[in-house]
Amino acid sequence: MTVDLNLVGAKGAIAEAAAGKWGMTIDQDICTGCQACVAACAMENNIAFVGEEDAGYGRTQHWIRIERFWDGEYPHVQATPFQPMLCQQCGHAPCEPVCPVFATPHSPAEDLNLQVYNRCVGTRYCANNCPYQVRSFNWRDYHTVPELGNMVNGALIFPLHNQLNPDVTVRRRGVMEKCTFCIQRIHKAQDKAKSEGREVEDGEFTTACAQACPASAITFGRVDHPESLVSQLAHQERGVKHLEELNTLPRVTYLKEG
Amino acid sequence: MSQKISRRDFLKLATAGAATTAVLTGCGPASRYVTREPYTKMPEYTYNGLSTYYATTCRECAAGCGLIVRTMQGRAIKVEGNPANPINLGKTCARGQATLHGLYNPDRVEFPVKQARSAALATTAMNWDEAFQVVSDALSKTNASEIAFLLGTASDHLFDLVTDLAKAIGAPAPIRYGALSMFESRATLSKAAENLLGEAGLPFFDMAGADLVVSFGSNFLETWLSPVAYTRGFAKMRRGNTQKRGYLIQFESQMSQTAAKADEWIPLLPGTEGLVALALGRLVAEAKGGTTPRAFASVNVEDVSAKSGVSLEQLEHIAGLIAQAQAPLAIPGGQALGQSNGLSTAEAVLAFNALVDNYGKPGGVFISPLSPNEDAYHRPANAKEMADFIATMKSGGVKTLFIHGVNPLFELPKSLGFIEALASVPTVISFATFPDETAIASDYIFPDHQGLEAWGYQRSATGAMQSVLSGAQPVVSPMYDTRSTVDVLIEATRLAGGKFAEALPFTDEVAFIRNKIANLIGRTDGSFVAPEINTFASYFQQHGGWWSAAGVSAPSSSASALGKAITVEEAEFSGDGEFFFIPFVSPTLGEAGANKPWLQELPDPMTTVMWNSWVAINPETAHHLGIENDDVVKIISEAGEVEVAVYEYPAIHPEVVAMPFGQGHTAYGRFATARLPQDRFMDLVPHGGLVGDATKRGANPVDVLGARFNKAGDLAFAGMKVKIEKTGRKQYLSRLESRIGVYGEGFPEEK
Repeated sequence: MTVDLNLVGAKGAIAEAAAGKWGMTIDQDICTGCQACVAACAMENNIAFVGEEDAGYGRTQHWIRIERFWDGEYPHVQATPFQPMLCQQCGHAPCEPVCPVFATPHSPAEDLNLQVYNRCVGTRYCANNCPYQVRSFNWRDYHTVPELGNMVNGALIFPLHNQLNPDVTVRRRGVMEKCTFCIQRIHKAQDKAKSEGREVEDGEFTTACAQACPASAITFGRVDHPESLVSQLAHQERGVKHLEELNTLPRVTYLKEG
Repeated sequence: MSQKISRRDFLKLATAGAATTAVLTGCGPASRYVTREPYTKMPEYTYNGLSTYYATTCRECAAGCGLIVRTMQGRAIKVEGNPANPINLGKTCARGQATLHGLYNPDRVEFPVKQARSAALATTAMNWDEAFQVVSDALSKTNASEIAFLLGTASDHLFDLVTDLAKAIGAPAPIRYGALSMFESRATLSKAAENLLGEAGLPFFDMAGADLVVSFGSNFLETWLSPVAYTRGFAKMRRGNTQKRGYLIQFESQMSQTAAKADEWIPLLPGTEGLVALALGRLVAEAKGGTTPRAFASVNVEDVSAKSGVSLEQLEHIAGLIAQAQAPLAIPGGQALGQSNGLSTAEAVLAFNALVDNYGKPGGVFISPLSPNEDAYHRPANAKEMADFIATMKSGGVKTLFIHGVNPLFELPKSLGFIEALASVPTVISFATFPDETAIASDYIFPDHQGLEAWGYQRSATGAMQSVLSGAQPVVSPMYDTRSTVDVLIEATRLAGGKFAEALPFTDEVAFIRNKIANLIGRTDGSFVAPEINTFASYFQQHGGWWSAAGVSAPSSSASALGKAITVEEAEFSGDGEFFFIPFVSPTLGEAGANKPWLQELPDPMTTVMWNSWVAINPETAHHLGIENDDVVKIISEAGEVEVAVYEYPAIHPEVVAMPFGQGHTAYGRFATARLPQDRFMDLVPHGGLVGDATKRGANPVDVLGARFNKAGDLAFAGMKVKIEKTGRKQYLSRLESRIGVYGEGFPEEK
């Protein structure tokens, strides 16, 4: 009997997880760094703004951020291609095993990394262990800072709260958060498809960042369906996955320049 | 007033689901007056967990992108692009996304007030009947020639109404202005088009069909004219053709966000962009063989190389790329036009396009089509016209000034003297939604709805190959006791009676809009056809506007553009400082985004600075001056001075400093001015402390701009030379990027 060592134990689990379900491609050749995805994500997911001081300490709650690095010196200086960085929804995620309270489990149904806000006790081990640095911690109750509200007849009213998306939890102080691949949209599309007795179609819905992107640099969909647009793009020669050598099995494929 | 229809009826009539195909037609006048009801009286169309979607138009800039706003239980939750609108095809920029933070901003003008030019927003409400009387008296008791209307670039339906009103009562036509139109140099573009293409209008650059784009300072990926449309064009240029990847070359003295996307960014001295365009034209013409057209005949390439700092090899290399390209395209814009020689620069670039023979061809230059209900292209006023208007104000020629949608106190260079001129105007009535600097300095504020609460339409000035009229409708009921300015003017003219009432014979805003779109009824060449106004207006609401199937016109032959000799004169600069000063519109804030907290928290794409202003200085230059990151410096021009923190920016010409426009408000709400409460912790940390003026966030670069214009009358905003002085203070900028990895700080020295 021959045993395929690649399918034994942890390695076997990794091989099984390699396929994934939902995935994304980001074309860095056309990403213009315009921040539309960041704003769209904030509006969709009730992400709090933290103000100048906390932002300076790196406490911004951006679930997606756009990285750019300088390369070279004037006049032969270049800005590296804009690189939107978000939770890679790793198939083999370093954040998951370190949580002492199982607040960062892996969803078997959607093959995504979940963040269970009401379990989270704020150890921040997960953020510490995330090689992509995409988790953000609520250092304060940012949504209810009194100075954001107005006193109306003796009561503190927060007009900005009218905008909050009822499909997404508002996180409080002491809780870790991160990109969810807009799981509320995934569920909505699945519910709709189920009620109509069909499968979710490719392109039927998308994440807030992909929806807004003026350059259409972001594509979202099923990476386990070979005919989906995201699968086709992900298998281009330009495709790279970040920190793949850590065996995290990221679900986001970046399309390089050139 | 006509019948009052409740909110639920209104919503039933006006619902426009993104995927809804059923249309309610012929259903009588849709509701105009939306009443706000408590959640206990939930409209019956509301199913728990289901959203209602409305099509409307973005008002964060004048581009006219279509939106579909997701609402839930009477609240606007999320802005999405309207996939059918040809300008943005379902996409939005960050400013469009954040328009909800304008709607639900805690600092709005909530009711009409007698502001009386006091320092803070007045807190005692007037009632609207008094307000109508004030406007009515202001219109009817002022000599018509001494009434002035100053409007922003959005919304167009208000502009049309005021134009009609002014004409009927014999007042001067309304003046439109905005910081964006100033930095876009719209007058220069249309003047150059008139001179070279034979047609006044905004040229449209079909980037999507080009395979090589040479941009002369144009910031088309940031805020220029129609950024969402141009971003789509850029993406198609780069990657749309699977056989050949599109190539972008940018000539600009600092690496802007747009230049960062370029395959080749070529820094040059400000004001020499036009010369480079001519030199490239000559080199390309020579490479093609035959006689060099007159437009490029007189330029000396070596001379251009010496003046611009672009080496001869580089010029030849780029000319070679252009000669090989199948569909090359050149675009002027940004700081290249904001020079004293901006007009000849624009002409040189347009002539270059004539040389590569792309007029009216895919990937080439077109004239943007007029909007379906537009008689001719009306460009916003240029800075010269604003200066003339300010002179009229100063001389007492304006007795009543109405201001809507524009904030000249913040946007115009101080040197033009708008604030002093305002003192000579006895009555200033503002229709501002937010308590901005100009509203605070007015006698009355009669607040208009925020864009998502309002009716209207916006014409697309450019951005699509089609003729587009984007329609707006309220997606939520008004948050506060605000009134549409159109309705205020209609009511005021009714009170005034006589010729005033005759000027605006409409029951309300909706009737006016219907009147203005009525000419499209029956047209079969557009996005929908409707036989009569009720059906048409319903469709118009549902689709979010009307657009024709085709529209662009090709400019007249390129031969005439090449036949004219073009000389780009040397750019003139004001002041004797040693640095060129380049202001640019913040790509994230735009002209009026500073009061939206999520826009403040978006990192600038290049510097990643949040919530503040900076001045970009070449690290080498900074080193010579003995300054480093986060040092506060004083920038002094002959027109004024401003204090701002330094960002050592590796990709900027050593003789140039650049500063974003958008911050430095003294009014405009808590997010634009005072620091947030969390920020008081700055006091506790050893490195910082509240630096500078705690009531002001950032600094405004227009404070150092002088009154110099180019030949088209646009402001030569990039034509200042400045001195830099140290202040010895620090202000730590909040950046997304850590200092680790920037210039190697934080990393051990490499051996």
